[in-house]
Amino acid sequence: MKFAIAVFSPAHAPSSRRALMFAQAALAAGHEIVRLFFYQDGVHSASANVVPPQDEFDLPKAWRELVNQHQLDAVVCIAAALRRGVLNAEEAQRHERPAANLPASWELSGLGQLHEAAQVADRLISFGGP
Amino acid sequence: MSKSMLVISRQAPWAGPGAREALDIVLAGGAYDLPLGMLFLDDGVFQLTTAQQPGDIQQKNLSANLQALPMFGIDELFVAASSLERRGIAADTLALPAQCLNDSELAALVDRYDQVITL
Amino acid sequence: MATLHMLSHSPFGDGRLESCLRLLGSRDAVLLCGDAVYALQQAGAPWASLQKSGAQVFALAEDASARAITAHASATLVDYPAFVQLCLDYDKVNSWL
Repeated sequence: MKFAIAVFSPAHAPSSRRALMFAQAALAAGHEIVRLFFYQDGVHSASANVVPPQDEFDLPKAWRELVNQHQLDAVVCIAAALRRGVLNAEEAQRHERPAANLPASWELSGLGQLHEAAQVADRLISFGGP
Repeated sequence: MSKSMLVISRQAPWAGPGAREALDIVLAGGAYDLPLGMLFLDDGVFQLTTAQQPGDIQQKNLSANLQALPMFGIDELFVAASSLERRGIAADTLALPAQCLNDSELAALVDRYDQVITL
Repeated sequence: MATLHMLSHSPFGDGRLESCLRLLGSRDAVLLCGDAVYALQQAGAPWASLQKSGAQVFALAEDASARAITAHASATLVDYPAFVQLCLDYDKVNSWL
């Protein structure tokens, strides 16, 4: 079966970890993840600049590893990202901001990608809040 | 045939970007001619009162974007009667032509759509 | 259609569970995650509301055990593989974000 997974919360929210665990379980069960879409505060879950305390789980790193290992289509909503200061190199340059913090594994795009994923997938599962 | 989506908007208009970002999901879907509906529930009903002055808190007027819904082909607009009543808002004073639904009608509404997001 | 409603906020001091129960369909179920598992407190008002609603209640096992909450026998605790399957057993998943 095909899943579209939307993440609305930052890396320090338990719901972001829950989304990751769900994604891992879905893949382990042989299902397909058509897209990961990060929206609202979920854009922070993709930030390369998050530095968790040494004795805590590094969730942004885990997300990067999941995306890279399974070659997942990982999209961050550009409007939500800009508003929250999550920028790739191109956007940082375009808006003359001092730093980029979105790794290459993620694509900045629009809400159309959420809708396209929702149309293609058998289920759309959203994670957010605590 | 396209899958339909119901977006349930529960956030008050000026509590951050939540209300606007919920609306943006709907408008984006409308731009692709997808079948979408929008339900205003709980504090989300505060988005629909008239004569709001968001400029006073340096916020953009959400009303203008809400009025754009029919232009994007989104005319399935709903509001929860119980949420209005609890907040003392009269159903006939709303800024949008939203259908007022009671609780059992809300359950039937959710049932009608292929997908739902509540934010 | 049967919808699985997913909640993660504590029912004490947040209105999502109450609103969810208001618009619950007759074949819908509720999945409690995160702080929403506090609704499993058997002597609490939210559990009474859940039982009254007649909805099938699921909860993420890790969140219940992390909080040392003992669920009533009628609530089904799920791990992640079961969570994935649950999403497929229901026609759609409505997350109360």
